[in-house]
Amino acid sequence: MMELISYCRVLPEGISVNGAKVYAPDSTESWQKDLYTALGLNYPKFHKMDNLSKCAVLGFEAMKQEGAPFADFGDDEIALIFANSASSRDTDERFTESYEKIAHPSPSLFVYTLPNIVMGEMSILNKWYGENVFFIRKTFDAAMFTEQISIYLSKGNKACFCGWIDHTSEGTDCFLFLVRAGAGHLSPEQLNTYYKQYRNE
Amino acid sequence: MNKCYVTYNSLITPLGNSPAENLLSLKKGISGIQMFDGQGFAGESLPLAKIASLRENERFSSLLTSACEALRGQADAKMLSSSKTLLILSTTKADLSVFPGDTFQSAENILAEKLKLAHSPLIISNACISGVVAINTAADYIHASLYDQVIVLGIDVLSPFITYGFQSLFALSDEAARPFDKQRKGISLGEACGCVIVSRTRPETAGYTVMHLGGSSSNDANHISGPSRTGEGLVRSVRRTLERTAIPRSEIDFVSAHGTGTLFNDEMESIAFQRLEMDHIALNSFKGTVGHTLGAAGIIETIFSMFSMEENLLFQSQGFAETGTSCPLNIITENRSFEVNTVLKTASGFGGGNASLILQKI
Repeated sequence: MMELISYCRVLPEGISVNGAKVYAPDSTESWQKDLYTALGLNYPKFHKMDNLSKCAVLGFEAMKQEGAPFADFGDDEIALIFANSASSRDTDERFTESYEKIAHPSPSLFVYTLPNIVMGEMSILNKWYGENVFFIRKTFDAAMFTEQISIYLSKGNKACFCGWIDHTSEGTDCFLFLVRAGAGHLSPEQLNTYYKQYRNE
Repeated sequence: MNKCYVTYNSLITPLGNSPAENLLSLKKGISGIQMFDGQGFAGESLPLAKIASLRENERFSSLLTSACEALRGQADAKMLSSSKTLLILSTTKADLSVFPGDTFQSAENILAEKLKLAHSPLIISNACISGVVAINTAADYIHASLYDQVIVLGIDVLSPFITYGFQSLFALSDEAARPFDKQRKGISLGEACGCVIVSRTRPETAGYTVMHLGGSSSNDANHISGPSRTGEGLVRSVRRTLERTAIPRSEIDFVSAHGTGTLFNDEMESIAFQRLEMDHIALNSFKGTVGHTLGAAGIIETIFSMFSMEENLLFQSQGFAETGTSCPLNIITENRSFEVNTVLKTASGFGGGNASLILQKI
């Protein structure tokens, strides 16, 4: 049994939490920086992160500011279950360019050429020592998420913070949600509805 | 709770093209790491654990194809196509030869063509802990009664992308990696593919089988590319695995550690095992033998650990001669007979990930 407590979307058009828009950027070109300012963040590491991690930080902070109860859980009681379709392709391309075009393989890019780094950044930001798993899936797979959440809650985790984040030249797709063990029953169909609502489909 | 059995299947590494060939090489103490000229950035020579038979530009596709053929040769065709069978692929980068195309799609296409599976494969890409997380995820699906068997395939191959990346971090050794040794200088990269089958019932025909008792993961919450100074994440993962399996640490006969051969990683692991009061347990790293195979490492090192159980034989930690960590560990310096009933396998990686699992003889 599980209940969805909070969900969030992060897009170049702005951040929505639980279906309502809470922040909009001033311009689409510097939207991540604008949202960082709008959220009143002071986390200099943010500026060195890859785009996947930036999206996750913005979404997480917006959820927290809108009352998502992350602080109700102990430092290793929240499992992180993340997935995407393009892995770290955006950074992979930039890293490849660093050795092919300017003959200088960039260590600061290389460390972001793994998709699970986003969970590392979330863990560092919050001092979370919980369980982590990262899946690659062609499209958002609600049934996979609910199966995994059910499994992680049954193993003793109190909550799951989940994310579907892609950032490529084709666009940004970031959907975050927090689920806890509870009386409700979150079905894949319901989760898909929240995801599609987020996609405006 | 369902029981959870593990058997090994195909295994292709620089040590051999089958489990039997790999076992023989381990028994003989052969190293899979050799010097190669001009493989590094700016033409540097590097020690690498390369599979000689793979053709350049087809390394991934030919390795995965060979592993699928070996799997098909040994596994029941009905099992492969059953709706109660899932395949989990553990890989960090998949088929980089098609980059900037979809490297993971390329892997899925090969699996679909060669294995005719009922479900699309589930891919786990969790840096160097991928393999251990993949086996634990397979066990989760068995315990949840969602599948009867889960095939777990781990694969990563050598590529300029990976080599130049680790070079840029100054993480590579200029000689074969020497995990936990005083003279260690870094990682030797390798490539491999290994396959285990995790199942709800004990397979009737398959070979050597052990029980998967449980596992867990934990994040260091410290740094995305540097290990924790305190080993906190590894300590928490091992503690959680011990709690979940209800196995007292005194029952662990052997630890198959991560042991990359870098100064900081091996130091972190030594601190973690001392904090866990497990520093007296026989321990090795296979990365001085087959290099660091990234997404395959957790799988192939689990299979090697199963060899130790099957043969009651501890394998030497190649490259180790003298204690080089602030907390001394009981590193295995030569192959020796020992009754190995219960094994702890650990992994740590970029993104601050740590994972562990416990296997036991039936």
